[in-house]
Amino acid sequence: MIDTDLAIIGAGAAGLAAATEAVEHGLTVTIADDNPRAGGQYFRQPPLPFRRNGQSWFDKEATRANALFDVLGHPKVTHIPDAVVWNLPEPNVLAVAAGDRSTRVRAGAIVVATGAHDRPVPFPGWTLPGVITAGGAQNLLKGNRMVPGRRIVVAGNGPLLFVVGASLVRAGVDVAAIVEAAPVNARLTAALPGLLAAPKLLRQAIDYRWTLLRAGVPVRTGMTAVAAHGEENVNAVSIAPIDGEGRIDRNRIERVDCDALVVGFGLTPSVELMRLIGCDLDFHPARGGWLPRRSTGFETSVPGVFAAGDGAAIGGVEIALLEGRLAALEAAVRLGRARDASVRRAALTHKLARIDRFRRAIERLFAAPCHYLDLLADDTVVCRCEEVTAGELKMRGREAWTSMVQLKSTTRLAMGRCQGRNCMATLASLVAQSMGEPIAKLAYPRTRPPARPIALGDLLHEPIAPPELPADPHLPRGQKVT
Amino acid sequence: MTGRRVDDGLDRGQPFQFFLDGEAIVAYPGESIAAALVAHGRNVARRTTRADVPRGYFCGMGVCWDCVMVVNGTPNVRTCRTEAAPNMKVQTQRGVGEAS
Repeated sequence: MIDTDLAIIGAGAAGLAAATEAVEHGLTVTIADDNPRAGGQYFRQPPLPFRRNGQSWFDKEATRANALFDVLGHPKVTHIPDAVVWNLPEPNVLAVAAGDRSTRVRAGAIVVATGAHDRPVPFPGWTLPGVITAGGAQNLLKGNRMVPGRRIVVAGNGPLLFVVGASLVRAGVDVAAIVEAAPVNARLTAALPGLLAAPKLLRQAIDYRWTLLRAGVPVRTGMTAVAAHGEENVNAVSIAPIDGEGRIDRNRIERVDCDALVVGFGLTPSVELMRLIGCDLDFHPARGGWLPRRSTGFETSVPGVFAAGDGAAIGGVEIALLEGRLAALEAAVRLGRARDASVRRAALTHKLARIDRFRRAIERLFAAPCHYLDLLADDTVVCRCEEVTAGELKMRGREAWTSMVQLKSTTRLAMGRCQGRNCMATLASLVAQSMGEPIAKLAYPRTRPPARPIALGDLLHEPIAPPELPADPHLPRGQKVT
Repeated sequence: MTGRRVDDGLDRGQPFQFFLDGEAIVAYPGESIAAALVAHGRNVARRTTRADVPRGYFCGMGVCWDCVMVVNGTPNVRTCRTEAAPNMKVQTQRGVGEAS
């Protein structure tokens, strides 16, 4: 058992910012992260043995990243890399699997900064090798300084497509097209006042757009990928326009040849640990789906558990950095250790409000213009792990189209290794559509530990708790099965 | 997909070899197995249980488990999260755990 003032889950932008703030108030910090090196997705760095020349466009965030990493060398900070926080047995205790064993960390307060992953949107061919996520493309570029193909289409919805497209161009790739579902050009004028709230970020966005323009990359807005083609690898993608009512016009399909297809439909916060301990969640599609309900101090509904960054609501790196600091500041206040809290809070909140205006403008600009379920064919795989197709779900649906729990247990959907991260959102949409209910009203299958897969051997060192029968999902929480 | 390494003046250190189903693959210290395979144009990590179709690198951040392979005899190793090492034996995985 490790005792610490503040435990932070995730060493990305939000987690590192939280750690930096916490040590400034004299707190001891334990930061557990599932990557071998800190940085998360945004500040992901090339492997240590690589020696950079510092001149490359890809090194532009290295200075900011290194400044953030400094906190890991602070005497009050313990960094546990390659660690899976697989359970919160109590709201102030982390079960951490690392280095072939599981240990526990007891904390005065917790900051959950678990980040996000790509929102999965199934369409025919999305399981083909060569079809990769926007995050996956960024990680090849940032973490390995590699590109996935020679002629690449980047398709989906959201600002990340332009970031990935521009990065690929900088890396010398022939980007065959950017296919953005939202009609961003038509929405630009309305979004402009909000975008001007953060001029630095706007300049960055213009730089990405300019990079694409100069390279002559066709940016096809108001269109979507409808199918990826190929046998052992993707070799082409079909794209189609979306009309004003959000319908996909399949009479005007175009085929674009490529040897890799990067898909990004926005991001989904990793909220499973918060779901596990019963934090209240609300459904906000514009910010990634299910989000923890937070106080103005970024505390969840479970006292002492704070949430910051993209793991709490999609907002991007600048918001994550500020929220991380604010969450740690509030935790320090709670622990009676904060110095100059009101001055710091005011300064950080002021900055955050400005970037929030920019964020809302971006959200309006990229609001999804169509229903992604329209992309499904009967043989489209929805659950990648257990290979459950949309047709199978519909067939079960005709027999017993009633609940997510039922469809999960009859098809094995969401029972694979990704634990539903790639299919649960689609299942929810399907059930909501067929029942005419909003997603927010659906009963989700109960989240249970381990929050991420761990090896059985990791548990050999777990302290053994007195035996207790697990609560049945169909019974009220806590009621024992007899 | 025929991936490749970006040449932007980065010094990647001394290359070494590992093996994919017996074929020699070049990697640099610190690269993930999946990345080295992508750079070599080998994108199929495994074949699935039910439909026997190919899968490869997808999420790149350890979430999707689609890039699992048999590494030095151990199945279900996420190759996007595992560094390549000299003489490592990597095999295309079939179903839930056999090497094909």
